[in-house]
Amino acid sequence: MAINLASKKILVVEDQAIMRETIKHILGSFGARFIIEAESGINAITAMRIDKFDIVLCDYNLLRGKNGQQVLEEAKHLKLLPINAIFIMVTCEQSQQMVLSAIENKPDDYLIKPFNRLQLLSRIERCHARKQYLSSIESEMDNGNIYQAIHNCKRLLQNEDKKMHLQLLKLQAELTIKVGDFKTAEQIYQDILQERELPWARLGLGVVAFFLGYYDQAIGTFQELIEQYPVMLEAYDWLVKAHELMGNDEHAVSSLNSAVTLSPLSILRQKKLAILADRIENFPVAKKAYTATIKLGKNSIHRSSSDYSGLANVYLKSNAANEALKVLYELNQQFNNDPEAKIRAALLETEIHQAKGNKALAQQAYGKTFKLNEQLNRQLSKELRLELAKTFYLNGNNETCDEILNDLIKTNIDDNLFIKNIVTLCNTIIGGDYAETLIQQIKKELIDINNKGVSLFQEGNIKGALAIFEQAIAKMPDNHTIILNMVKIIIHDIKTSKPEQEKIMSAQSYINKAIQVGIPHNQINGLQTELDTIRSKTNP
Amino acid sequence: MSNTMLSIGFPAILASSVHDIKNSLTALRALIGKLESIHQDPKPNEFRQLEFETNRMNNCLMQLLTLYKIDLSQFNLTIDEHSVSDILEDVVAQQSTLLSFGNVQLITQCDDELFCYCDNALISNALCTLVNNAQRYCLSKVLLSVAQEDDYIVFCIEDDGDGYPENLMSSDYKQLPQIDMANGNTGLGLFFTETIAQLHIKGQNRGFITTDNNSQFGGARFKLYLP
Repeated sequence: MAINLASKKILVVEDQAIMRETIKHILGSFGARFIIEAESGINAITAMRIDKFDIVLCDYNLLRGKNGQQVLEEAKHLKLLPINAIFIMVTCEQSQQMVLSAIENKPDDYLIKPFNRLQLLSRIERCHARKQYLSSIESEMDNGNIYQAIHNCKRLLQNEDKKMHLQLLKLQAELTIKVGDFKTAEQIYQDILQERELPWARLGLGVVAFFLGYYDQAIGTFQELIEQYPVMLEAYDWLVKAHELMGNDEHAVSSLNSAVTLSPLSILRQKKLAILADRIENFPVAKKAYTATIKLGKNSIHRSSSDYSGLANVYLKSNAANEALKVLYELNQQFNNDPEAKIRAALLETEIHQAKGNKALAQQAYGKTFKLNEQLNRQLSKELRLELAKTFYLNGNNETCDEILNDLIKTNIDDNLFIKNIVTLCNTIIGGDYAETLIQQIKKELIDINNKGVSLFQEGNIKGALAIFEQAIAKMPDNHTIILNMVKIIIHDIKTSKPEQEKIMSAQSYINKAIQVGIPHNQINGLQTELDTIRSKTNP
Repeated sequence: MSNTMLSIGFPAILASSVHDIKNSLTALRALIGKLESIHQDPKPNEFRQLEFETNRMNNCLMQLLTLYKIDLSQFNLTIDEHSVSDILEDVVAQQSTLLSFGNVQLITQCDDELFCYCDNALISNALCTLVNNAQRYCLSKVLLSVAQEDDYIVFCIEDDGDGYPENLMSSDYKQLPQIDMANGNTGLGLFFTETIAQLHIKGQNRGFITTDNNSQFGGARFKLYLP
């Protein structure tokens, strides 16, 4: 498919002047008129803030500052790229692509240096054609309408375009996993593997096994893949998750360590390694990984004050309070107006002074922590709040600790891994079955609210029921039961009264939310079908 | 000095130097392109030679780097289904600059509906190396054709030159052929292609290569079989 470059806005990110000139010259010879150059990652981001580009050609190995991957991550995070924009990463060799390919934010394609004018044009054209072909799926994905995206995927499959066939099946399988329809995904992968052994389809089967809870089987699949494809980082990432859920943190750390060796520039893997190694008290590995995370963070949107406090805590645990103090200083320097960083610093200060035996200073820092917690409270991340609960308990403030734990359990009751972390923490510091009791109590409260809403609904008091669930959602935004009941009531409301567009949209947004928080397919699918029927009746 | 080198290891030093050289080469090619654009047609024949030599250097470096990583287990194929016509298009695009200079004709032949399970980047790189050489040693034309033969997809490169020298027609490409310093042909390209062909496996079948002088135009013929 020919592409008309004259109407396209193109950004060329490249640190070498001669390369920029060459690329610009090539693009110009194909009719491109709007070409902006950036010689660094920061300038690229600035340019993307000013113009919405159709095509970005970005060199991966930028000499200073952000690398190409960090540019892409930041652009996606800040939503600087229009949905049908083409982002092509220019790399030096093929193995770089393999290392990059497992990261969440993938470019649309890669181009290996050196390339000539026809190679560049053909890469852009192919990308453009593919994007156009898939645009009906991608735009629905972008809006979170996963069921509609699957529907569009199936429709395109009917065209029996051989070139796109496998790509569409791959996409369909990934989408069905997203909505929790694991059986369909499994079938797709198995059908493909029947024809041919393809690594991504084999990986897909492992992922399905993982989500169905067959962790042993999943681990076996991932390990076999790694043996055959030693640079397949996605297999490592899934292996780590499976080990973690099996409670086998030692294995998780060793797998992750291998993955980090292959991709030392991936900040998210370094970060995860630091946290896991810290948890199993492998301090040398944790120290190394935190240090790497902090270094990479300087050019990344994934930088966080928790990397600093994590490193400082590792120093504290290995009796190096002075080193911890240095990290604290650095933390204060790097994060000036970040409330989360402030409270982390205060928390850290408390612990460092306690470790050094400076009672008065520790008390002062603790006071600061307490005040900041009151101010910020729910704005803080759940992990940080759990740390705070621990500190309050250890300082004899059981009441605040209780409050936080209560709220954390309530809002995260369906997040098994996090609830497990809460239980582990409570068992070590409080003992007894403190957390378990709390969890039971909250589950009961939840059932009561739910029952109340449902009985109002059954009495025909739709408004009352909606009000109850709206309140509950405000308190517990990720709770599965409440979200599902909310959708059911709205749909019932639409059916029995006039089908207003606003209500349909509200129901769809709760369904999208349900997919996002991981409610299984069999519980959502029926509701989506009902809503689709209503929709097709209202606007034929 | 020698101790330092031993502790890092020569292969690692070589690999990192390859990186540097590759960067320089990329800049070099850009500079040549700039010079070339200044010249009016017909362009001096030296540009064709420059293009050929830099292509060859680049292919060589890429192969060294890939073989090094395979040796370290830091490389694996990225197998997927690819349209054969797309792969040929990539090869033609890569060779387009060289073709634009000379009087050599590169003809491609394949069925649009033909698909192949392979690592397309590696395969097209390997084919580029071989086509680049064929362009050098042929008289006027190179044919790159693809067809299905039983369980294999077969990529075939034929030319109308003098054919392969004796040392490049050994039946065992797993051994690097005798290095012939006199004419500078080390056979690395064939060794590399055989190595990655072997990594393409389906069931009992593995990929392989053959070379002979049975080209329909009377020159060299190379065949790559992928299961």
